[in-house]
Amino acid sequence: MVGSRETFEKISEKVMDKAKADEVEIRIIESNTALTRYANSEIHQNIGQEDIDISIRAVFDKKTGAASTHSFREDSIMDCLSKAETIAKNQKSDPDFKGLPEPIEMKSARENYVKRTADFSPDERAEKVSDIIEMAKSEGVDRVYGAFQTEAQRLFVANSKGVNRFSRFTSSNLTTTAIADWDNDQGFGWSESCSADVRDIDHMEVGRTAVKKGLNNMETKKIDLGEYDVVLEPLAVKSILQYMDMMGFSGKKVQEDRSFMAGKFGDKIMDERVNIYDDVSDPDMIGYPFDYEGVPKQRVDIIDNGVANDVVYDSYTAGREEGKESTGHALPMPSPMSPLAMNLLMDTGDYSYQEMIEETDKGILITRFNYCRPVHPVKGILTGLTRDGTWLIEDGEIKHPLNNLRFTQNLIDAFNNIEGIGKERKLFAMGYYPAFFTAPALKISDFNFTGTTEF
Amino acid sequence: MWDLVEFGVDELEKKDVQYGDIRLSKISTEVINVKNGTVEAIKSSESEGYGIRVIDGGWGFASSADLSEEGIENTIKRARKIARASAKASRPIELKDVEVFQDSYITPHKKDPFEIGLEKKLDYLMDVNERMDIDDRIKVRKCNFNAWKTKKFYASTEGAKIEQDLIKTGGGLDVNVSDGEDTQKRSYPNSFGGDFNSRGYEFFEGLDLLDHAEETAQEGVDLLDAEQCPEGKMDIILNTNQLALQVHESCGHPTELDRALGTEASYAGTSFMTPDMLGELEYGSDIVNIVSDPTAEGGLGTYGYDDEGVKARKIDLIKDGMFVGYQASREGASKVGVDVSGSMRADGWKNLPLVRMTNINLEPGDWSKDEIIEETEKGIIFDGIKSWSIDDKRLNFQFGTEAGYLVENGEITGLIKNPTYTGITYEFWRNCDAIAGEEEWNLHGVPNCGKGEPPQTMQVGHGCAPSRFKDIRVGVGKW
Repeated sequence: MVGSRETFEKISEKVMDKAKADEVEIRIIESNTALTRYANSEIHQNIGQEDIDISIRAVFDKKTGAASTHSFREDSIMDCLSKAETIAKNQKSDPDFKGLPEPIEMKSARENYVKRTADFSPDERAEKVSDIIEMAKSEGVDRVYGAFQTEAQRLFVANSKGVNRFSRFTSSNLTTTAIADWDNDQGFGWSESCSADVRDIDHMEVGRTAVKKGLNNMETKKIDLGEYDVVLEPLAVKSILQYMDMMGFSGKKVQEDRSFMAGKFGDKIMDERVNIYDDVSDPDMIGYPFDYEGVPKQRVDIIDNGVANDVVYDSYTAGREEGKESTGHALPMPSPMSPLAMNLLMDTGDYSYQEMIEETDKGILITRFNYCRPVHPVKGILTGLTRDGTWLIEDGEIKHPLNNLRFTQNLIDAFNNIEGIGKERKLFAMGYYPAFFTAPALKISDFNFTGTTEF
Repeated sequence: MWDLVEFGVDELEKKDVQYGDIRLSKISTEVINVKNGTVEAIKSSESEGYGIRVIDGGWGFASSADLSEEGIENTIKRARKIARASAKASRPIELKDVEVFQDSYITPHKKDPFEIGLEKKLDYLMDVNERMDIDDRIKVRKCNFNAWKTKKFYASTEGAKIEQDLIKTGGGLDVNVSDGEDTQKRSYPNSFGGDFNSRGYEFFEGLDLLDHAEETAQEGVDLLDAEQCPEGKMDIILNTNQLALQVHESCGHPTELDRALGTEASYAGTSFMTPDMLGELEYGSDIVNIVSDPTAEGGLGTYGYDDEGVKARKIDLIKDGMFVGYQASREGASKVGVDVSGSMRADGWKNLPLVRMTNINLEPGDWSKDEIIEETEKGIIFDGIKSWSIDDKRLNFQFGTEAGYLVENGEITGLIKNPTYTGITYEFWRNCDAIAGEEEWNLHGVPNCGKGEPPQTMQVGHGCAPSRFKDIRVGVGKW
């Protein structure tokens, strides 16, 4: 089904009428996801998913219960309400719970919904993928891999206090990995593009970039481990921002002393050129204008000219601090992960990508990272490996490709060692919730490499 | 529900597709999280829908929650349209012939976790949480109960008709401690929610969280003052909670045939264990035997049939240290000429089945853990998953655990914090020189294995006993 606001409001009214709880909230997420995956230069997986997730939160005197169903049948939804109420009655009281959010006026919000993306067909995806396969072949690369995804999502949130919100968005994302083969050697290359409007995806440019990187990434050499200057392409920076977000930018983690931001507010913790903020209203961004509790998303300046300035809140964590309001960053509740910054942006600087390379005496150029994981979240220490294109830079020039390297690095130190920030930033889909980040390229000194692999 | 499934298979047969199957599932979940004396979350979820796979020129898959004949018809139409689009860039698809079953399977269990009253579970967790409250430096104390129940109907155009009732249960506890200078974490029986099995409520009761609450909390506090992990090379002993993850990352994933054939190259990655190495690669020392076993009693990856109707079976992946087998789908098995492993599974009804780990188990050896420690001159015992990372071919890995125990001259001499170790997969397993026996063998559940696009989360199991690895690099990074 494709539900309209009116359809969702009707079912919401029925839930509110039937509810016995002191407060009740209904949240409906409808998604249509289409994805074509290709590997070894052929389509091997091709899917279309339709789903509707209806969740109800019921509250009796600071006791909350939640239940969900994926059926839009009225009896299933009423059964869901009954379960949520039963759970709430059997719950323990939580003194920190201040109630469901009150309705707050929301400025008119841009909707990131593009009908052309929602209507994009399997045939059209297959044609674009075929173009990439043919182009790669013509360049001598017989094996390309990747995925072309389009998605349309609708979110409706209403509660018994008068919150009533509906929004929708679309996104499209194309990735390409090229594996160039020659004489028992392999070169890996990667590129991707993301936009609310599928017409903005230049599939040939994505394919060409991946193929070029793959062809230039053969006959890799090992390098001694240690600290190097690095030029991180935007995708690599995106991974760092993602883990900073998970390790530090949540009000809950600060309250629980589990964030590197805890106790540091007002202190300069990064290079003064670093500005990181969450702002769904930014023209570069995709997402809902309100969170999963229906609270309008506020711009939150998290790192402001290098200073630890603020973190994001949902209504529960805001309720635990005097005078604090939700910033509109709740995940589908209840969630141990909430709140979370889901529309993170980093300000650009004044360096071109080429200047970063030209001004490097000896360093490493990195396309992206693989399998990053926190080693010590509160200290901000992360490990991970380079992937799909790593090169040695010497005397301002790219010399030769390198075997992939493992880093183990304190991210806060790294963001204090920034030597240059790229002039442009790129949008990335995060692959969880409707989360999208933008990131520029960065040049960082003294980045610590602790291991290497065999390719 | 069989009526709808049979209607769908009839419709697929009428369309004369090369192959088609329907998998209709009803999934119930219950989550209870208690944190710092209050309930962080109680949620009951139900999800019901179906996924339809067809080969009609190429592969097509569509899923829907519309449980009507019209919904089935529309979903078949979408799946066929997608399949015909795939045909623009795909080669002919062959599936390995397998025995076709009409059967049913129920997870053996004593107590249905959904029949146990919410109040009883909640009261127990509140008691556990209170028991953990022993020191002001404990900033977060959490405990949780989780249960899943899946009713699954599967039928194919080849005549398969399989009904399964799967039950999974588990839970755990953990603390985060901080003294303003440092922060540490300790959990029981493992990180990331504890331990999970394909059993009933009796498994959760058997975890005995209440009895382990205080000692786990105390060790978390003790970690604040523990010595930092030393740097260098030494012998390491992995307790089963960490060894389970080592098996998962460095053997489970690289022996997935779809990875080895490149179908995950753009996302999770490929594998260094390519088909030409089958039977040739010395993966580990000759005491290393690793199997894929979805028949293992109680394993989180235990079931009767996989999501393409293949009966669960035990197969060798590593035999006497040699790489001898893959986890393979019908399509992959046909391409490479290996046996199917019965390990195609989808996350819920909405997703496409992929090759997923079942229970990837390291077979027991003939040591005891005490003997291993007694015969270790200098080493570290690693316990409790904290950090894990491995490259996209599954060669270079680095793991960190919550706690380490220094071993000197055959005795445990102290607690250490932030322990890490790193290595190259085959070098590491070739250095395995001692594996404890059956009596210390433990089948852990890992509920959060990620793979595929869109991302799917799978529940898998790993059985192992404490084991020793010689001359491994420890203490990585600047602290």
